[in-house]
Amino acid sequence: MDSAYLNNWIKDESKVIDLGCGDGSLLRDLMNTKNVHGFGVENDLEKIEKCIENNVPVIQHDLDDGLKDFKHLGFDAAIMASSIQCLRNPKSALIDLLDVATTCVVSIPNFGYWKIRLLMMAGRMPVSSRLPSKWYETKNIHLCTIKDFEELCAELNLKILEKIYLNDHGRPLKKLKRGNLLAAEGVYLIGA
Amino acid sequence: MKKNSAVFKSNLSFKFACNKTLPSIELVYETYGEINADKSNAVLVCHAFSGSHEAAGLTSDGNKTGWWDEIIGPGKAIDTEKYFVVSVNNLGSCYGSSGPKSISMEANEPYGSKFPDVCVLDWVNSQKLLMDELKIDCWEMVAGGSLGGMQALQWAVSYPEKIKRAAIIAATAQTSPQNIALNEVARQIIRKDSSFNNGEYITHNTTPKEGLKTARMLGHITYLSETNIQRRFGRKKQAPGTKVAEEVNFEIENYLQYKGDQFSEFFDANSYILMTKAMDEYNLADQFEGSMSKALERIKSKLLIISFTSDWLFPSWHSRRLQKDCILSDVESSFIELEGSYGHDSFLFASPEYSKILKTFLGS
Repeated sequence: MDSAYLNNWIKDESKVIDLGCGDGSLLRDLMNTKNVHGFGVENDLEKIEKCIENNVPVIQHDLDDGLKDFKHLGFDAAIMASSIQCLRNPKSALIDLLDVATTCVVSIPNFGYWKIRLLMMAGRMPVSSRLPSKWYETKNIHLCTIKDFEELCAELNLKILEKIYLNDHGRPLKKLKRGNLLAAEGVYLIGA
Repeated sequence: MKKNSAVFKSNLSFKFACNKTLPSIELVYETYGEINADKSNAVLVCHAFSGSHEAAGLTSDGNKTGWWDEIIGPGKAIDTEKYFVVSVNNLGSCYGSSGPKSISMEANEPYGSKFPDVCVLDWVNSQKLLMDELKIDCWEMVAGGSLGGMQALQWAVSYPEKIKRAAIIAATAQTSPQNIALNEVARQIIRKDSSFNNGEYITHNTTPKEGLKTARMLGHITYLSETNIQRRFGRKKQAPGTKVAEEVNFEIENYLQYKGDQFSEFFDANSYILMTKAMDEYNLADQFEGSMSKALERIKSKLLIISFTSDWLFPSWHSRRLQKDCILSDVESSFIELEGSYGHDSFLFASPEYSKILKTFLGS
């Protein structure tokens, strides 16, 4: 996820947690441009080292162990960029998210995207530049489409305050219409 | 590696947190590496309960290396080619700094059990005196494991302007009832030794060696992990002719007795009691009307909190709790739980991951 899309969503000087922060570069951007108090959560030691190198505070934690350790710690925003589909229990993570922060940014790879549908039509699991891993190596274990995700948010009474659909190159689609077919990724601002 | 040993004498009276004062104090310390022109490359390392100022290189008796030799040295995690490392023996200990074995000028005899109750804050305050003496304005990092980690945390809270980074390793912001319980058993073992003489064993010309030995045997078990002693000793029997005592059957028994004997040769029983008491009393929030957030909000340095998977003396939840409190107080802090099979003692041994994290943090 490009921090540019978050500019209107993440307030200056706010306290932000990035759940699945990788090398911390997204948080680093937000810390530089918006002066946020950032904390990353990551489980991979090499990525944690990168965070420390980048001066991004980081907490080692396996997101599959749940989010209860991060509840009610005063975060204004939580970010979950392309990691919810990797979790063993994405539904409970979504339920807990709003106890972690007042607003949440969640992005998902859209498995309803037409290129993925084509690959599936050919009878193969999708492998592309955005989804580079083969089925036996991919960390994406709970695959969903934009339709599926928005349906779950509605079921859990999570309000989608704003959303952006991104094309294959990570640029926003001009129209939201037929996003389930045309978007490679959905990015959501979620509130209570 | 350039290594230097020295004694710092402060002729100003030193007031302990318990309100007692000593007319003067002495701190023995070592330094490794060289200080740069603007004195901006200094690192303080703090020792644990039974450690000393001898942290790196060969020890003065020449047959061992310092307690953190795997971490401090040329090219190591705390690189002495780049940094000037200071390592102090704590007040109340028995390796040369003022402690129960020191002679009281007033009474003209060893302080013995009358040495003031010392606490983590006292150690940090005394280290600050040495810092001023060395004309160091700010530590690049204060680092330590166990009780040493508590000192690193205390530095960040007590002298926020004087420290850029704190590495708090296998430590806690508040010792647990289990920690206190184990320490109390050890203290009772020492006190019950008939040679202890209420702590005045030096004037009585006795040494409570048996008590110290047994206390250390108990302590030693808590520094190791079950996996570690399983791997190392299993149920192996001690070979005849190599036993330290007739009643010994298993290697683990022999090992503990051997280690306990060694320890009782050089460690001071009053120091044992003082240092364990300092550990028990440690609760950072106590110094700030019971408020951990009031304590942590003072911090201006970056924190690195490390725990080890097999540590059951200060298990990871201590570090996680501290990290959580740091987030609540907006402290720039990171927490990492490293694999380490040596139990609590894991903080002494340099695994590639551990070294890399420390080195990266110090260089960040």
